[in-house]
Amino acid sequence: MNATSFLKRKFPLAILLLGILILPLLSPPPYLIHIITFIFIWSYITTVWSYMGRFHLVSLGHGAFLGIGAYISILLFNYYNISPWIGMLLGGMGAALLALILGYACFRFGVIGDYFALVTLALGEVIALIINAFRDVTGGSLGMTLKGVGTSFYYFQFEKKIYYYYVSLLFLMFALFLWQIIDRSRIQKALHAIGEDEIAAASIGIRIIRYKLFITLISAFLTATGGVLYTQFMTYVNPETLSGVGVSLAIPFKAILGGMFHLWGSTIGTAMIVSLEEYIRIMYGARFIGISQVFYGILLVALIIFLPKGLYGTISDYWQERKRISEEQPKMKLGFFGK
Amino acid sequence: MLLQVEGVSAFYGKFQALDQISLTIQERETTIMVGPNGAGKTTLLRTISGFLHPASGNILFNGEKIDDLDPYRIVEIGISQVPEGGRLFPYLSVKDNLKIGSFPKQARSKFKKSLEEVYELFPILKERANQLAGTMSGGERQMLAIARSLMAKPILVLLDEPSTGLAPLVVTHVINLVNDIKKRGYSILMVEQNARKALEVADRAFLLESGRVQKEGDREAFLGDDHIKRAYLGI
Amino acid sequence: MEQLILSATLNGILLGGVLALLVFGLNLIFGVVKIIHLAYGQFVMLGMYIIFLLMTTYKMNIFIASLISCIILGLLGILLQMIVINPLLKSPRLNQLLALAGLIIIFENMAMVLWGADYRGIKLFLPVIHLGSLFIRTSYLVAFIGAIITLLGLNLFLNKTYVGLAIRATAQDLDSTQLMGINPKWVYLITQATGGILSGIVASFFMPIYTVHPHFGSAFTLMAFIIVILGGMGNFLGGFISAFIIGVVTSISAVLTSTEIADSIALIIFILIMLVRPQGLLGIRESR
Repeated sequence: MNATSFLKRKFPLAILLLGILILPLLSPPPYLIHIITFIFIWSYITTVWSYMGRFHLVSLGHGAFLGIGAYISILLFNYYNISPWIGMLLGGMGAALLALILGYACFRFGVIGDYFALVTLALGEVIALIINAFRDVTGGSLGMTLKGVGTSFYYFQFEKKIYYYYVSLLFLMFALFLWQIIDRSRIQKALHAIGEDEIAAASIGIRIIRYKLFITLISAFLTATGGVLYTQFMTYVNPETLSGVGVSLAIPFKAILGGMFHLWGSTIGTAMIVSLEEYIRIMYGARFIGISQVFYGILLVALIIFLPKGLYGTISDYWQERKRISEEQPKMKLGFFGK
Repeated sequence: MLLQVEGVSAFYGKFQALDQISLTIQERETTIMVGPNGAGKTTLLRTISGFLHPASGNILFNGEKIDDLDPYRIVEIGISQVPEGGRLFPYLSVKDNLKIGSFPKQARSKFKKSLEEVYELFPILKERANQLAGTMSGGERQMLAIARSLMAKPILVLLDEPSTGLAPLVVTHVINLVNDIKKRGYSILMVEQNARKALEVADRAFLLESGRVQKEGDREAFLGDDHIKRAYLGI
Repeated sequence: MEQLILSATLNGILLGGVLALLVFGLNLIFGVVKIIHLAYGQFVMLGMYIIFLLMTTYKMNIFIASLISCIILGLLGILLQMIVINPLLKSPRLNQLLALAGLIIIFENMAMVLWGADYRGIKLFLPVIHLGSLFIRTSYLVAFIGAIITLLGLNLFLNKTYVGLAIRATAQDLDSTQLMGINPKWVYLITQATGGILSGIVASFFMPIYTVHPHFGSAFTLMAFIIVILGGMGNFLGGFISAFIIGVVTSISAVLTSTEIADSIALIIFILIMLVRPQGLLGIRESR
C-alpha cells in the first residue's frame, strides 16, 4: 500500500479526529461536552474489556475491577488526600492482583467459556456486596462524593469539563493504540490460536496460562483506571453504577453491539448506546428509565440474534468481503495460464 | 423400487463427499456398499437419513422425494439407521433404549409386540434388560443398536459398518443376525469395510470409491470381479 | 445460641428443598438444551409478581393464582425457546449467554415499570412450629414437602413416560435421538415448558416466605447458579445435595451476621471451591 492510498484511507479518520479535537474550543453547549466525555470514558472501559473478549475470554464481571479502582482511589483521596493518579495506580494493581489470583486458578484448572463467565459474574457481585457491607466506610448504596478541591491537575479535578474531555480522549486513544500493538504482536497470534483450539495450541508449545493471564491482567488494570477516570469526572460513585451485575453486563453489550473483534467496535457500540440512553432519558424523563431499559434489552437480544458480529463488525466484514472479491477477480483469469 | 438415489452430490463445506451418486434399492433385498475409508459410505447414509442435504440430485422413497426432510421425519416414514458404533444412550437401560426406539407413533402401539420379537432374535438382551447400555460389551452393544432400530418398525434398515471394532467371531454372529433380519422381510442397506463378510448376505452390491459409484452388480458379479477380489477380498 | 443455629440449620434444610427444585429446572434445561438459563431467577420473580397481582387485584386464592402462574410461565418458557434460543442454536455459546443476560435486563425493568421498585408481598402469616426449644417455620415446611412431592413427580415423569424418556435421551446424545424419530426442537419446547412450570411452583412456595422486588431474580439466579455449579453442571444428584448445603450455609450465616456478609461469604466460598475443584463437588467437568 503506497503513501497516497494510505492517506486516502485515513483521511476521513483524520478529519474526524481533528473535529473531535477542536470541538470544545468552538463553545458548544456544555451538555454536549459532558456527553462526549462520557462516551470517551465508557469507550475506554469497553475497549479494554474487549482486549479479553475478542479472544473468547468473556468476563461478565468487569464491574469488580471498576469498583476496585474507583473505591480504592476515592477512599484514599477522601480520607488520606492521596492523589487519584496514585489511586489509579494502586487501584489498578489491586484489580490486577485479584485478576491474577482468580485468573490463574481458572486457567490452571481449565475453567473456560460458560464456567468462566459465571465465575466472573459472581466476582462482580462479591465486590458490590463487599462495598455495601462496609457501608460505614464506603457509604454503601448511597455512594460517596468526591471531596472538592477546585481545579488541580495533581488531584485530577477540574472545574471546567473541557479538561476531562481531553484527558478521557487521551485514555481512549491510548487504549486503541495499545490494541493495535497487541494486534501486531505475537500475543495476538498466540491468543487467537488459543481461542480457536486450546488443545492444539498447547500441543505446539504455546504457554496458554501465561498469555491468558497477561491479557487478563492488562484488561483488569486498565479497567480499574477507567473506574477512577469515571469517578473523577462524575465526582460521585455508588456500587450500583460501578460494580455488580448491571454494569458488568452493560460493558460486553456495548462491545458486542459495535463488534468486539474490531478496533473501533467498542467505541461505536458505546457511542450508540449512550446516545440512545440519553435520548430516551431526555424525551421521556427519568420516570421512563425502566421502559427505556426494556427497549434497550430487547434491542440487544434482537441484535445478538440477527447481527452476531455487531453493527460495525457486520459492515466491516461486508466491505472486507467486497474488497477481497474485487481483488481476486484478476487473479482468477491468470489461473488458467498460471496453473 | 423402494429407494432411489438419483445423481446425488453432497458437500461438507467446500469438500465434495458424494459425486453424482445413483443407485436403487429393491424391496426385501439386502444391498451392500463396500469401499475404502473416506469413500463416502457413511456420508451417503447420513444423507439418506436427513442429516445432510444433497446439493443436487434426488432421493426418493416409494416414489416420494425425501431429501429435504428432517432426520426424525425420515424415521417416521420408515427408514431406520444403525449408526457406526451403535451410538446407544449410555445411561439408559437396555429396555429403555429399546423403548425409545419405538417412539414413532406407528411403533408405539406395537411396543410390547416388538419387544417380544426383538427378545426372540436377541435373547441376551432380555437377560440384560435392566443393565445400563454403556456397560455392555462391543458385540452386545451392536446387537442392542440393531434391535433398537427395529423397534421403530422400519421398512428399510440402514447399517453403518456394523463389524467395526468387533472380534471376528462376533462379526460372524452379527452377520448372521443381519441374515435373520433379512429373512423377516426387512429391506437392508449395509455399508461395510469388511467386504467378504458383507457379501455373504448380499443380494446386490455397490462399490463406492472417492464419492463415486465405481461398480454395481449382484453377489456373484462381485465375488468374481478381479479388482474387487484383490482390493477388498484379499484374494 | 445453639438453639438458634440448630433452628437455622433445620430451616436451612427445609429451604434447601425448594432450592433443589429450582436447581432441578436449571439442570434440566442445561442438560437438554445445553444452555445456561441466566434468566431463570427472573422467571421465578415474574411468577411471584403474577401470583401477587392475582391475589390482590383479582382476589384469587393462592392455589388458583399459583396454577395460573405456572401455566403462564410454562408458556413463557416455550416462547423463550422459540424466539430467543432456537435462532441461536448454532451460534457461539457466548451469544446465547448474552442473549439471556439481555433477558434479565428486560424482565427486571419490566417489573420495575409495572410494579415499581417497592417490595411486594402477600400477607400470609403462617404459624411457627415449636419443637421443644427449636422452631421451624410452617411456610418452609410446606415448601419442603411440596418440593419433595414435585421432585418425586418429576422423577416418575422422566423415567416412566415416553416424553420423559425422549428428554433424557436428548440430553445424552442428540444425533441418536433424531434417529429415534424424535424431533429435537419439540423436546426443547417441552423441556422449557417444564422448566417454566417448575419456576412457577417455586414462586408459589416462595410467596409466603419472601417479598418480591425487581432485583429479586438476580439474587436468586446467582444463588441458584452457585448451587448448580457446586453440584456439577447437569448433575442432578450433585445439585440436589448442594441445594441443601447452601440452604443451611446461608441460613446459619444470616443468623450470625448481616445478610450481605452472609451472601458475600457464600459467594466467596463458591469462588474458592471453583478454584479448587471447578467441576463441582460431584460434577463432571465439561471439556470443550
